[in-house]
Amino acid sequence: MTRDVAVALALARKDALAELRGRVATGTTLFFGAIVLLLFGFALGPDARRLQEAAPGLLWLAIVFAGLLAVGRLHEAETEDGALEQLALYPVSRHALYAGKALAGFAAMLVLGGVLLPIVALLYRVDVLAAVLPLAATLVLGAAGFAAVVTCYAALTVRMRSRELLLPLLVLPVVAPLLLAAVKATVASLAGDPLGELGAWLALLAAFAALMLIAGAVTYRFALDD
Amino acid sequence: MPPTTIYVAPPRRALEAPSAAVARDLARLFGRSAALAGVSLEVEPGRCVALLGPNGAGKTTLLRVLATLLRPTYGTAFVDGLDVTTHAGQVRERVAFLSHAAGLYADLTARENLAFAATMLGLDPVDARQRVPEVLEAVGLSAAADRRVAAFSAGMRRRLALGRTILGRPSVVLLDEPHAALDADGMELVARLLAAWREVGVTTLVASHQADRLADVIDGSVTLERGLVTDITGTGVRVPSEPLAVPVGERVALHAAEARS
Repeated sequence: MTRDVAVALALARKDALAELRGRVATGTTLFFGAIVLLLFGFALGPDARRLQEAAPGLLWLAIVFAGLLAVGRLHEAETEDGALEQLALYPVSRHALYAGKALAGFAAMLVLGGVLLPIVALLYRVDVLAAVLPLAATLVLGAAGFAAVVTCYAALTVRMRSRELLLPLLVLPVVAPLLLAAVKATVASLAGDPLGELGAWLALLAAFAALMLIAGAVTYRFALDD
Repeated sequence: MPPTTIYVAPPRRALEAPSAAVARDLARLFGRSAALAGVSLEVEPGRCVALLGPNGAGKTTLLRVLATLLRPTYGTAFVDGLDVTTHAGQVRERVAFLSHAAGLYADLTARENLAFAATMLGLDPVDARQRVPEVLEAVGLSAAADRRVAAFSAGMRRRLALGRTILGRPSVVLLDEPHAALDADGMELVARLLAAWREVGVTTLVASHQADRLADVIDGSVTLERGLVTDITGTGVRVPSEPLAVPVGERVALHAAEARS
């Protein structure tokens, strides 16, 4: 158990270090997420109420689209110079490898959400400061569930030629419940939770994350090994 | 410049089985073609054995099956008596594999790459801190220890990958074309490593096109052609004494016919 934790932390730390130095994923995905929000903003026009109503959905669409690139990139980096093969050769449990990769993906999603949320506040005239805690909880749970799913599918598709096309096709239907719950929780958070439904949506997000983490840990070895 | 003598620590686990590596009736198919079409051989512990043969003979596939990267389509393979399919985790604790690709992280330094490998190999952190500089010195990369691997030449990457095979103190080392991309010093390093491993009882299987470079260090050699063993010379390697249960060649042919239909 202790060894599994050490392996997972070492793998996540390695991914973070490589990303901080290479800045391949963060640079492109943050820019992509910001562009998505900007373009949707242009498409909706200057009507402040309309922008505020659309903000939660567009925030999560931007997080999901950019997150697909960011978490997918963590696995793509392993294919350079045969590193994924080397990873499979180490005498470590596949659960630990999955946990490490999911942790790195989770961190990338948090950074992404942390950057995109102020952009939404600015472009869509939404007061995020009034609902920081519920928004943070939504982001943490949503990021965990999303990273759990994408980590598994990224390992499955990383050796395929058409991985960039396949990954969204496989992931997006699976994360539909997460997207729904995250958007609803964000709407409730921004509105001050007048109907008292925030807890239920956060619970759904937590259950989704837990279920996907278990499923990912169980199935990851099939994606990694021959 | 690597030192003229290399100290390689003895393996963490002494081999317990009478044979270090065994392949029985081993076949691996990729679609219709058979990379291995019924290979049987047995390597004694502590021996250095060369795998020879032309491109496409099955050398790399055999090493990859023994390293647990590929599952056999038919037949069985064992390392230290452990089935590579059913006991892959335990096999990985005993084996180090040097592949064609170096398997390094370009954005990390040489030292960080080895430190990461040390954690993944389960080395004690105190032991790892001591071993990493030793290994870097052994492969002649002490001066480049804190440079990012992205700035390394292909030969330096190869040296670092060789260093990683030393780091985990394996019982069985599988080297696939270890001389590739190396200069004269690097090739000398490979020869010294092979000699050092043999001295401490590590079994090595080396797939290479450069048989002349291995002549001084190997105990025996196996020649493969079209996925079959065509010749075995020297000591330390032999065809298993037990008769083969099922003629795998017939199954391979049948499999290929099914794939065509």
